[in-house]
Amino acid sequence: MIHFLIFMAFPVFFSIFLTFNKWDIISPMQFIGFKNFVRLFHDQFFFKSIFNTLLFLLINIPLQIVVALFFAELLNQKLKLMGFFRAAFFLPVIVSGVVVTIVWQQLYGFDSGLLNRILVSLGFDRIGWLVNPKIAMPSIAIMATWKNVGLYIILFLVGLQTVPKQLYEAADLEGANHWQKFSKITLPLINPTIFIVVILSTIGGFSLFIEPYIMTGGGPLNSTLSALLYIYKQGFFYGNMGYAATLGFFFAFIIVIVVILQKKYIEKEI
Amino acid sequence: MLSKQLNIIFIFLTLILILSSCSKQNKSKYLLTYWSSNNTYEIKFSKMIVEDWNKLHPDKLIKFQPVPEGQSSEEVILAAVVGETTPDIYSNMWQGDVETYAHAGVVLPLDKFPDFYKFMYARSDSSVLNEVKSQDGHVYQIPWKINPIMMIYNSKLLSGLGIKTPPKTYTEFYKDAAILQNKSRNAKGYVDRWFGYSEVLPTWWQRLFDYYPLYLAASGGKPLIKNDKAVFNNKYSLQVFNFLRTLYKNNYFSRERLSAQQDIFLSGVIASRFTGPWDIAHTKKFAPEGFRFNFSTIPVADSTNKVPYTYCDPKNIVIFNTCKAPKIAWEFLKFFLNEKNEKKFLEITDQLPRRKDLLANSLFEDYFNNNPLMMKFAQQAKRIRGIEQELYLKEVFDIISQEYEASVIYGVKSTKQALADAEKAVNLLYLK
Repeated sequence: MIHFLIFMAFPVFFSIFLTFNKWDIISPMQFIGFKNFVRLFHDQFFFKSIFNTLLFLLINIPLQIVVALFFAELLNQKLKLMGFFRAAFFLPVIVSGVVVTIVWQQLYGFDSGLLNRILVSLGFDRIGWLVNPKIAMPSIAIMATWKNVGLYIILFLVGLQTVPKQLYEAADLEGANHWQKFSKITLPLINPTIFIVVILSTIGGFSLFIEPYIMTGGGPLNSTLSALLYIYKQGFFYGNMGYAATLGFFFAFIIVIVVILQKKYIEKEI
Repeated sequence: MLSKQLNIIFIFLTLILILSSCSKQNKSKYLLTYWSSNNTYEIKFSKMIVEDWNKLHPDKLIKFQPVPEGQSSEEVILAAVVGETTPDIYSNMWQGDVETYAHAGVVLPLDKFPDFYKFMYARSDSSVLNEVKSQDGHVYQIPWKINPIMMIYNSKLLSGLGIKTPPKTYTEFYKDAAILQNKSRNAKGYVDRWFGYSEVLPTWWQRLFDYYPLYLAASGGKPLIKNDKAVFNNKYSLQVFNFLRTLYKNNYFSRERLSAQQDIFLSGVIASRFTGPWDIAHTKKFAPEGFRFNFSTIPVADSTNKVPYTYCDPKNIVIFNTCKAPKIAWEFLKFFLNEKNEKKFLEITDQLPRRKDLLANSLFEDYFNNNPLMMKFAQQAKRIRGIEQELYLKEVFDIISQEYEASVIYGVKSTKQALADAEKAVNLLYLK
């Protein structure tokens, strides 16, 4: 109870208090009423950052589910070296995000990156992975998928192993093909796992920070400026703590809405 | 049950923490604490000076320690200010940060010491003192050291291309860059070497090392902000934006972020970059055999006999308001900054003290004769600017950086429009 009050309740109430103040940490606080909220609704960069974050989620979540489910299906077979493959897929999850980001930055290099070298050697044009504003966020989403998919593969594997084998045997007797078995048996029965994966990747997606912070600084042309990166910049680059708290609350409000919508619709539809 | 045990442990630890903070601190034998940067050479220098002081003043002992490790020294100082654990003296404060601390009242006005101006005028000229004067008319910092930004170039590579002297003007820069580009296309026709590189991230402080030195060079050291108004939307900024735009447009500068790779200057990927004297030791240490390099002034639009201005990346000394003995701190600073100690500083750290007599004082003569590359920086030090004492500097540079990215790097906006938009946004910032 005490640590809840100190480490959870107090920061929340203090943040609410901050939203009505101008504070750069070192000077005394100045009460400014609702000015931070007025500023928020006129802040094009914040709405751009929200749009970018939602775009990231829109690419990242389906991609992670499809890729994770695909590999989970493969790893659910009786294969040699299964333990090795499972570990290999899980490895990026435990590698530091900063390290992964730096390695992918090298891969994504426009002039000297490995991916573009391969494309050029195959006769294709180079892609501006991180320098083209239209492609930069999808590039980051692909990298995030590679980094996190191992965790979701494991979750799906657990889900797949709970599906009773008798159902597949019955379907085989009815002459169902692989796709019919997958869509009519597997998918409905791993519904709770899919929901968990959606929630986890939504939370992960909303906390997008390290990747754009290191790789692009939010550029090019703010196309990878995530909401958290923008809030961080307001708070720690410019010392606008009150405004950063206001942005944080508004962002938390958006997250709550998205999660409620997911719970209400996605859970039913899957 | 487990939760109850955790609560007991938590209460116990909290009590220990409260009691330990309430208990009287051991009476220290030191009167003051001084923090330097955590640069190895500066630590060596500062430690030596503090030891010298302590020998001479056994009744006024000073404790030295480098600034604690953190993501950046700025963050550590900010945390120390918030936690009221600042040292008495700190010697690595970026000039642009001081106004915020002065405004908050956490640093002492040094001009209240009776001999302040006498001491300062013996060391610096009036333009430097005006530059560091706060908006309230007081001076809260001692201009201490500088690292002027110049252009390092690969002299071996340039002479191999038939370029005898480094480019001094934009036209020469384009011409030399085109020569390099024509000889740098790989089998697929792509360029894989560039004449220069500047960080493409839109982070505010990156513009201190490309746009700002070029602006100072073009304008003869004009300010960005005056009387709470943006004054940078002028022909000089436009020249600089257009110059850099041309470099990116023609692929003379790479738009790709190359800084995470191995040193691209030493590996010959780029022929030049804007940098400070810290690159001398680095380049000498890591350059491959046969590598030759030199420094030149920041390029300008038109050729002139005068050395163009540049940004000097100034780091200054402050006394925090938590200081228990300001007069002794001031005495220590005068000792710290005496000629002999500044000579030691130069020799140990290869950084320039911000003195007006760098080249005139015979005390420094040997050092510069033995270090001809540092001599170039000392000559440049006659034509430098630091940064204005403004509260919103970071936001101003952030706004410029956003517009710079849109117009200079990606060309989605005209340079003229970008500067007009930046001016408007900065003026709005000061209206708040």
